[in-house]
Amino acid sequence: MFGRALGQLFMAVCGLVLALPIIVVAGASLNGGRTMLFPPEDPNFSRFVEFFVTETIWVRALQNSIMVAFGSAALAVLLAWPLAYLLWARGSRMSRALAGLGSLPFALPPIVFGVGLGFLWAFTGSLGALWVGIVSHAALFLALPLVTISIGLQAIDRAHLDAAATMGATETVTFRTVILPQTIPYTVSGFFFALVLSFNEFIVMFFVSASSYATVTLQIFNSLRNGYTPTMAVAAVAFIVVSIAVFSAVARWGDLPRLMGADQSRN
Amino acid sequence: MTAVDRSDVTVAAPAAQCAGLPWGSWVMGAVVAFLCVTPFVLVIAISFGQKVEGAGWEWSFTWANYQRFFVGALWPEEVTFLHVQRLWYSLYYAVIAAVLAVLTAFPFTYLLTRQSRGTQSRWLVFILASLSLSEVFIVMGWDVLLSNRSGLPMLFETSGLTDWLKRTGWFDVLREWGLANPRNVKFKTSEFATILTMSYLVWPYAVILLYPALSRLDRSLTEAARTMGAGPLRVMTTVILPTVKLPLIGATLLLFVFLMGSYVTVVVFAEPAKQTTAVAVYEAVRGSTLNAPFGAAQAVILLLTAAVFLGFAQILTKRSESL
Repeated sequence: MFGRALGQLFMAVCGLVLALPIIVVAGASLNGGRTMLFPPEDPNFSRFVEFFVTETIWVRALQNSIMVAFGSAALAVLLAWPLAYLLWARGSRMSRALAGLGSLPFALPPIVFGVGLGFLWAFTGSLGALWVGIVSHAALFLALPLVTISIGLQAIDRAHLDAAATMGATETVTFRTVILPQTIPYTVSGFFFALVLSFNEFIVMFFVSASSYATVTLQIFNSLRNGYTPTMAVAAVAFIVVSIAVFSAVARWGDLPRLMGADQSRN
Repeated sequence: MTAVDRSDVTVAAPAAQCAGLPWGSWVMGAVVAFLCVTPFVLVIAISFGQKVEGAGWEWSFTWANYQRFFVGALWPEEVTFLHVQRLWYSLYYAVIAAVLAVLTAFPFTYLLTRQSRGTQSRWLVFILASLSLSEVFIVMGWDVLLSNRSGLPMLFETSGLTDWLKRTGWFDVLREWGLANPRNVKFKTSEFATILTMSYLVWPYAVILLYPALSRLDRSLTEAARTMGAGPLRVMTTVILPTVKLPLIGATLLLFVFLMGSYVTVVVFAEPAKQTTAVAVYEAVRGSTLNAPFGAAQAVILLLTAAVFLGFAQILTKRSESL
């Protein structure tokens, strides 16, 4: 009993430390003035209005962030689907190699990938275009939908496939009626993982945007040396809210513990 | 991070009736290779290039950039280990932070997997949200917490903790460690702040990486040990730790590789003399020094170091799965 209480206490302390910087940032975003103070001075929501409505720098950065995140997450899912399917259906050496290559950018230090992408897009002459940012993030986060879709494909009951095959279903029909419906939650989860991480990524974006546009995190990164302002804290709060909403949705409509690799036999 | 160690799990080939489109898979392969591999190839190729004064760089094949990294540009007349030292700091911060994160995340994750499915889901949402939180936001939060005008040093001052430290003599110890100025404690800039923030940065990753292994832990084993009279500590050291030893080391290696590339934390919290290779890469490619080939060479060294440790992690995961 005592050990149990100690365990609860330890988890609570971990949760508190994990929340600490988030609480501080959320508090600082309420500052009425222009300096980051905690606890906030003259607390009000004027910085929120500034971030979402009046300051064009932030409004444009937010628009860019949204476009890059949705574009790259969609592209990553589109690229990941055939890869994951090939890997699952064939398991050939080539499909395994491809999946390995596709996970490379996510596994290695992002600054190296960012530098490389910077060189690549400079050669093609497209450095600084918004679509380049979208494609770059899609490549960086390809691994996420790849993993979630693979998990989803593995969860398909073989009996369903055998039944479909004995009843004479073609590959296309099996795909549409058995495989696709069962993997949709996993596909959507992969999309959202890529979306949220793209929102928060900045170092690859820094190298491929070539200062011609900025996302929200990049804008903050660029003004790092001039110090933080409460408006940036508003950005942080907005992003945390988005993350929590997205992952709650994944937990609500998908099986989060399973996606994270928990044993599926224990429910 | 998890994709690499999972990709080999997915090879069970249940659908026998899949007739394929070979050309389609070739196109796929080309797109993936172009996007995911050419950037790394270019970095390696350019690392052998040459800087052109005032005009960027040109293709070449010279080992000069690597020589400069290991012994300095003026070798053999003069030897400097400045760049090697930066790599050393990259490894130093990353090792300590990764080990700290895994050590604290392990008991947490173990306790988490003993909770009900719903509670686990709620914790996972929170952990994933803080995991995906951008490094810039995390640094911002800790910056406010650790900076001298607000946050912890203020708290130390107003609560009288600083005076207590001064009376008991601990203050001088803190000054020796570089964690205090003559008047109050200070955490910026210090190794302490750098490692703390890095550790925080990967802590949620540590939980996510340890979660599968710990939640698949066979409960009947621990229960059997308990009924045979083993205390909790004994169960931990004789049953649990041996089964999760390999995932534990594998997770530490992955976090370590991840931390080697962290940039903002080091720029904000580390002393200027103790910056890392990742910062140097940034400076050389886009920052003040502007020497793309040398930046690329440093990136390659970072890449190789990362690859070696990822290889170790991969071997460990493979081995733990075959057990």
